[in-house]
Amino acid sequence: MSVHFAIITAKKDLRRRLADPAALLIWLALPLAIGSLLVLINSGDGGAPRGRLLVVDEDRSFVSGVIAAIPARGEMAELFDVVHVEHAEGRRLIDADEATALLILPAGLQGAFVGKGNAEIRLVTNPSHRILPSVIEEAMSIAADFAVYSERLLGPAAPHFADMRLDDATASPSDIEESLSQLVRRLNSRLLESGKRVLAPPVLSVELAPAPDESESSGESAVPDIGRIFLPGMIFLSVLFVAQGMSGDVWNERRLGTLHRVACSPPSMAAFLAGKLLAGTSVAALVAVIGVAAGIVLFDLSLSRAPLAVLWVAFSGCVMLVYFVLLQCLASSQRAGDMLSNLVLFPVLMLGGSFFPFQMMPDWMAEIGRWTPNGAALIRLGEILDAQPDFPAMALAALAIGVPAAVAFALATRRLSGRFLVS
Amino acid sequence: MIEVEEVRKRYGEFAAVDGVSFAAGEGTVFGLLGPNGAGKSTTIGCISGLLAPSSGRVRVCGHDVVREARRARACIGVVPQELALYEDLNAADNVRYWGAAYGMRGRELERRVGEVLELTGLADRSRQAVKKLSGGMKRRLNFGCGIVHRPRVLLLDEPTVGVDPQSRVRLLDMVREQAESGTCVLYTTHYMEEAQELCDRLAIMDHGRILAAGTLEELRALLGERDLVRVTGEFEPERIRHGIEALDDTEVVNIDSGAMLIAAGAASRRLPAIFAAVTEAGGRVDETTLNRPNLESLFIKLTGRELRG
Repeated sequence: MSVHFAIITAKKDLRRRLADPAALLIWLALPLAIGSLLVLINSGDGGAPRGRLLVVDEDRSFVSGVIAAIPARGEMAELFDVVHVEHAEGRRLIDADEATALLILPAGLQGAFVGKGNAEIRLVTNPSHRILPSVIEEAMSIAADFAVYSERLLGPAAPHFADMRLDDATASPSDIEESLSQLVRRLNSRLLESGKRVLAPPVLSVELAPAPDESESSGESAVPDIGRIFLPGMIFLSVLFVAQGMSGDVWNERRLGTLHRVACSPPSMAAFLAGKLLAGTSVAALVAVIGVAAGIVLFDLSLSRAPLAVLWVAFSGCVMLVYFVLLQCLASSQRAGDMLSNLVLFPVLMLGGSFFPFQMMPDWMAEIGRWTPNGAALIRLGEILDAQPDFPAMALAALAIGVPAAVAFALATRRLSGRFLVS
Repeated sequence: MIEVEEVRKRYGEFAAVDGVSFAAGEGTVFGLLGPNGAGKSTTIGCISGLLAPSSGRVRVCGHDVVREARRARACIGVVPQELALYEDLNAADNVRYWGAAYGMRGRELERRVGEVLELTGLADRSRQAVKKLSGGMKRRLNFGCGIVHRPRVLLLDEPTVGVDPQSRVRLLDMVREQAESGTCVLYTTHYMEEAQELCDRLAIMDHGRILAAGTLEELRALLGERDLVRVTGEFEPERIRHGIEALDDTEVVNIDSGAMLIAAGAASRRLPAIFAAVTEAGGRVDETTLNRPNLESLFIKLTGRELRG
């Protein structure tokens, strides 16, 4: 009869929940909204800052063209829009706060590059910008280093190189081609002469390495999706909200007078509480189904992991609900119960990896969080979703959170039949 | 069916129920009459198993409510003073849940749910959420949830408080029907008219004790068929008491400087003598009320105060 009563109590509670779908949706949607915001914040999908770099090329040489092209190539191109301007226009724009930096490549730069005279590259930065001007400064510093080493490398080829111009009106294209060809040949032979000392006699060693896993070699898998990292935490966030929300129903039962009627009927209070836990477990399972389904669709989780993940989340939800029910029973009023359960809820959410994944926490905090009931359960869920369930560890975690929950169940039952009922 | 022996329920030094004993049999309505705080609900709590008596013994259908709690509870139906309904479920679901709580299942349960909804006049509202029902309908549904499992003992704790007259009449009819079908009904109320109208036997309670118990006739006999005369005005209590009690078959029940309660046989004929005695004792009469003997006058006689107020 007790089992029957527990089942009909669970059905009754689920009907009551369905009669108020808004509350149910809030339980499910609130953590989803919070989780999505956290993912957005941590993924940096809001777009990287982008600067405007003004370049004044007074040399109009091969070297100045190369330097001016540095910020417009590769990853720096994602940070800067490079705009070529005249000197006066550049000053006006930087003074008007319409650019991040102004790079002035003076006349004679290419000559100075190969040791014929001096030239000074000037970089005017916008003081209202903080990060991007530093990036430009760093790039120009690397370019200067490159110039020093290039001068040594070029050696006798330097005078010829110093005469190369990009817009030499007197030179025909074949002349420029010939000049470049000669330069490259001289560089090659110089490199070979310099390199012979190191390379001859060649010493070669062959190391056989296993072929990298395709999934590991692909960029996407090597760096896991931020949403995928947050998924277990989001599921537990929702489960904890459900557990905390449903735990307050013991006060509703008392207020409605139905708890008194239960106390006067033949079934035990334990069966009644078991029914309420069964209802909570069902809602937690629903949360798990939605969460895991989202994982399958969005992060290509394997369908084969779903049943175990759902079972684990449902079990964990049941455990959390017992803890929260005990807290409610220990409180002196519904308001006190809500406050007490909230006081517990938010720290365990934060510490237990439901707000911020353990990977993003300081080590000491993550270590504490792993010892919270939800933290211990969340780690195991993560392993299940990663298709690496550690069954002995799961059994241990189930015992670690389940045994105290059994004690909490006994205490809550006793309290519900006694002081909670008649005070 | 209900045997209550020397039951006491203490909260620290305070005795909510103090040595209450009575018995009620099959097919009868036993009334517990008393003002708020008299100990009626605590007595019902001890019988229903909600509260453990501090001492004494309660047996229901032959089962001790403490030692054989489950068996005793199985034959009890409770209609609590406050509504005990799930507001967000419909009427049928409420009745069905409480029927199932008492072990009813399947067709038997569905048939009984239909009967109860019919009996309480809620058959056409069975699919309506309880929160949308009127106060009187909720009271009837509350009653229905208490009788769905056909209890042999029905405990009703002031079921008509705050109920409109129409629903009240319906509720009282339903209580009578239960008694006629053989159920032992324990009915608490502070409405004298209800108790007089409904109960076969009565116990008058105050301060956790039973002051008097018996059938209505037995209780009336305790009053000696004397009327109660309430006089307000200005009195010197001791002189007035002496003067009034010098009259035949007249007794001062209660007196202070502004009001006096007198029990007198054939009081309407004695009023001139009473007024004369008051005047002689230097008093003044402003207003007089005469009550024929009833439970209320008995309660006033027993406790020295009115039941209401």
